[in-house]
Amino acid sequence: MEDYKFLFKVVLVGNSGVGKTCLVRRFTQGLFPPGQGATIGVDFMIKTVEIDGEKVKLQIWDTAGQERFRSITQSYYRSAHALILVYDISCQPTFDCLPDWLREIEEYASNKVLRILVGNKMDREDREIPIHVGEGFAQRHDMYFLETSAKEAENVEKLFMEIAAELMEQARSKELPRYDTISPTINGRTTSIGDNSCCSKIS
Amino acid sequence: MASANDLPSTCDVIVVGTGMTESILAAAASRVGKQVLHIDGNDYYGGLWASFNLDNLNKWVKDCENPENFASDPDDPNSDVKINNGEEFVFLQNQTSHISNIEVKWHIPKKLTETQVEQWSRKSQTSQEEKESSESDESKSPTEEHTLSRKHTNSESEKMPSVGFTRNGNWTQEDLMRDYRRFNIDLAPKLLFARGSLVELLISSNIARYTEFHAVTRVLTWLDGELNAVPCSRADVFATRHVSVVEKRMLMKLLTGCMDSDNLVQEFQGFESKTFLEYLKSKRLTAHLLHYVLYAIAMGTDTTPCMEGVERTQRFLNSLGRYGNTPFLWPMYGTGELPQAFCRLCAVFGGTYCLQHPAKALVVANERCVGVVSCGQRLMAEHVVMGIAQAPTQYLDGQQPSGISRGVFITNKSIMPSEKEPLTFLQFPPGPSHPNPVTVIEVGPSTHACPQGLFMVHMTCKQSKSAKEDLQEIASFLLTQEDVSPSDYDISTDNRSTQTSGQDPHHHHSEGASGSGDEAATVRTKPQVLWSMYFNCLETSKNSYSPNAPENVHLCSGPDLELDFEFSVQQAERLFKKMYPDLEFLPRAPDPEEIVIEGDTPEVVDEDGNSFEFDEEVQQPSS
Repeated sequence: MEDYKFLFKVVLVGNSGVGKTCLVRRFTQGLFPPGQGATIGVDFMIKTVEIDGEKVKLQIWDTAGQERFRSITQSYYRSAHALILVYDISCQPTFDCLPDWLREIEEYASNKVLRILVGNKMDREDREIPIHVGEGFAQRHDMYFLETSAKEAENVEKLFMEIAAELMEQARSKELPRYDTISPTINGRTTSIGDNSCCSKIS
Repeated sequence: MASANDLPSTCDVIVVGTGMTESILAAAASRVGKQVLHIDGNDYYGGLWASFNLDNLNKWVKDCENPENFASDPDDPNSDVKINNGEEFVFLQNQTSHISNIEVKWHIPKKLTETQVEQWSRKSQTSQEEKESSESDESKSPTEEHTLSRKHTNSESEKMPSVGFTRNGNWTQEDLMRDYRRFNIDLAPKLLFARGSLVELLISSNIARYTEFHAVTRVLTWLDGELNAVPCSRADVFATRHVSVVEKRMLMKLLTGCMDSDNLVQEFQGFESKTFLEYLKSKRLTAHLLHYVLYAIAMGTDTTPCMEGVERTQRFLNSLGRYGNTPFLWPMYGTGELPQAFCRLCAVFGGTYCLQHPAKALVVANERCVGVVSCGQRLMAEHVVMGIAQAPTQYLDGQQPSGISRGVFITNKSIMPSEKEPLTFLQFPPGPSHPNPVTVIEVGPSTHACPQGLFMVHMTCKQSKSAKEDLQEIASFLLTQEDVSPSDYDISTDNRSTQTSGQDPHHHHSEGASGSGDEAATVRTKPQVLWSMYFNCLETSKNSYSPNAPENVHLCSGPDLELDFEFSVQQAERLFKKMYPDLEFLPRAPDPEEIVIEGDTPEVVDEDGNSFEFDEEVQQPSS
């Protein structure tokens, strides 16, 4: 058994081209740019990090391109512990779409999900969204806020590490949505789940 | 946001509609490297297989009642899209034509009267205070410890009392609508046999990682005018009080006989053309046992042929012991999640998704379909897959499809309260007034079907009249339905509710999910219906397609009457083999390599001290 104490599902949303995949690849593989072809067949990336001496495993889910026509499956949001909403600081329309994304998040994600607003591409010279505007939006909507650059590896590590730390904190104080602690994840070859009132994942 | 011009104008497969079979096919094609474009005119996934929250359900009902509201192609294809020489446009249908006799009704008042509100606020004051104090405690910690900046913590929505936690008394429409997002109401509720073809497909294709299930906790039947638990495992058989020791032996012997494949021919010799009932009678089963086996385990009727009954019994028994106490699984968040799981896989392998993008017509040339007209754009493809609900009428065989009657009820407690939250399957046997068996599935808050304190009951049967006529009697056996006339909306409901429940209304909540209520007082009280919906849907699984349909247009059936998804899985596989005879149907999708764990068997212990055993190669980690 790989020893990790917590497993958290983190999902990314936001318009096409804001750098969601780049953020994930930068964090999990240290790569930039990730290379487009490589995303085919890749569902989510895994990285185990250490917080206060505890191993925390992050399962980071990308949109699989379904955001392009605003057709993300509701099930993508299910069971997420943290949700990163990304916009591009050099592209006003990606910021203008945030309320639409928030509506969708409200509709389908757990209301206890940790929500983080990320302004990506902070390395760009042609900034259109001043940092205080992003910050203000996050404040009004009760979200954490951070600007990042997947390209320059700026704040990417910090983003995910702080999510991990915050989720661990919540898990310890039992604030977290309970799905992972009660769902036995069972393998196809496993024939029993211990308690029939619990939900099960078949795999 | 979606701009038609961005859609790929050429691809291998265009799939129109996101129903179950369509979605499985989309995933299968994408998985083997085909370029798939999957469009749906609705702004939600699943079509007639969708699950809705209460708000979206109301929208759906309105759309069905006024089909002209329904998503339609804004562009006239004749003016925007050029018809080339030798081509014709074959127009598609509107899928709501498959839905009829919709009847939605509230059985509770809109809101409480002022006196009731006062009473309630006095009752709940203490719990509200507790809630708020704990909230402010929570809000202190995060900002200090971590540098992610979050300046607000208490939003308006957090302060709003949530159904079930702060309300104990009578339910109102406002209560339910306030938590509308916490409902997942299925248009096509189905259970999965633990060894049925969908479970096997989800596992073999690795699509299971997008899904979560609850095991059904009990199988009930209706016997002598009351609900009975059907013993369905060896342990159950020996634990039940309703079956004598002699009967227990008889039952075990009979079930063992049905499973003994070596002696099957011998055992059933002479019964090949007889009914299962005749066989069971020949075994001299007592009336109780016969009822359990025929109606609950084999889910049959008096005319079910013997070998079909045996097969059904086998299917039930084969699925026992895999997950939980019964042979069935129910998908968390409703059956509408399942088509979406296949769509996700399709997208992960490069499929393009576009909702709110209705297809208007097929482009047909030389008896072949060359593409689809959608939003003023020609989309060309080798194959077109579409749901039968939208198929052009001339491609159907003209045979009138049969129908399904559906009833959905939001109730204030389980039809048979139990210590832990139950998830119930009940096959209501046919009776004098209802010639067809009625499938009843009751789900509770832990499946995310409804908020805490409520339950949802789904009823399904073959249509003979309208859904309401077909189901209301069974509904009245299990549930109490009160009609609230418009004038009742603002009248105090205290009296009525006290009469029906026979106890103080603020006990309602404890009977629900926790079931810790006074059993003796509550067990005879039927749940109260708060909201109900009836509708009919066409059953198209038996329909075949006209030979006029172009060979490369593949039509997928809508929801069928059977309990499991067997039909959709088989239909998808059959159509896939027709499209790509040499390619594998949904081979296993790879896992991200890091999550293959080897070594010791991990064990997770939940809060109740139950442990879950993991296999050595766990693909799906859990905390």
